[in-house]
Amino acid sequence: MIDIYTEKKESKDWILQNDLYFNLNTSNEDLSDEDIKLIKQIDGAKITPDKHIETKYGIGTIRNLSSGCKTLLNIVKHPEKVVCVEECGPNVLQVIFTMDDIKIYMSRPSLFAIPNDVKIRFNDTDVVTGGTGYQRWWSREYERREALDL
Amino acid sequence: MKGEKHLIYKKILFKADPFSYDLEFDDRITLVGGDSGTGKTVLYEILEDLRLTDEYKAIKLFNYKSDDIVTSIKQCRHNFIVVDNADILLDDDIKKFINFEFSNQYMLFSRNCDGLNVSDNSFKVLKLNDNRITLEEEL
Repeated sequence: MIDIYTEKKESKDWILQNDLYFNLNTSNEDLSDEDIKLIKQIDGAKITPDKHIETKYGIGTIRNLSSGCKTLLNIVKHPEKVVCVEECGPNVLQVIFTMDDIKIYMSRPSLFAIPNDVKIRFNDTDVVTGGTGYQRWWSREYERREALDL
Repeated sequence: MKGEKHLIYKKILFKADPFSYDLEFDDRITLVGGDSGTGKTVLYEILEDLRLTDEYKAIKLFNYKSDDIVTSIKQCRHNFIVVDNADILLDDDIKKFINFEFSNQYMLFSRNCDGLNVSDNSFKVLKLNDNRITLEEEL
């Protein structure tokens, strides 16, 4: 199940500034083989054991990863937190929606491929399935916002 | 000329070996979106140097590290304003300023056009081809 929250909340259990949180916290944690694969998949970056990275743009440290890649690693390393995915491109969102037992914040829908069988729960109440359920929920949500002039 | 959009920079051209950047703008507001990892923040970091040159001194840069972004942006006139992390930084107040302060041009690293007066020409992605980096229309 993927939990999506659509209203922003300031809380220590939420990560709204992914670059900042990653640079100060996640980047200091050990990387698994799966993390290294994700970094390669999203940023095309090769990573050394001492956490230097090499991409087509040059050599740097793990703090030079893209905001989308940092967001993905924040989710993987901190599944208990609600992580803002508003800065993620379709390539990252596609990976996020193959994961399970995660919590994310998004205030608007994005266009990307969602697996047909993924279970999504909006705001702890509405449970939908797959890309169709996701689109349908957002359509209703926009009707609701329009009715309330939000 | 009547109807012509006022742009601070129609083109931004520079070399950052091994890459050459050839960025062309068609609207006062450009939203740079697309996939993650396509070099938006790399470009932002290069612009930090470029803005120190005479030719590009109109460039003003903002990201999540900027202090009091609302006040700072609202002081800009006749500037080329670049905002990285724009999806989390731009609130309704700043968007209103962007829409109505016509003396500035804007390049926003964002996928969210809600509340912004954009046109079909506003949506771009960074493309890399043979070490040449350009802004192309987002399909």
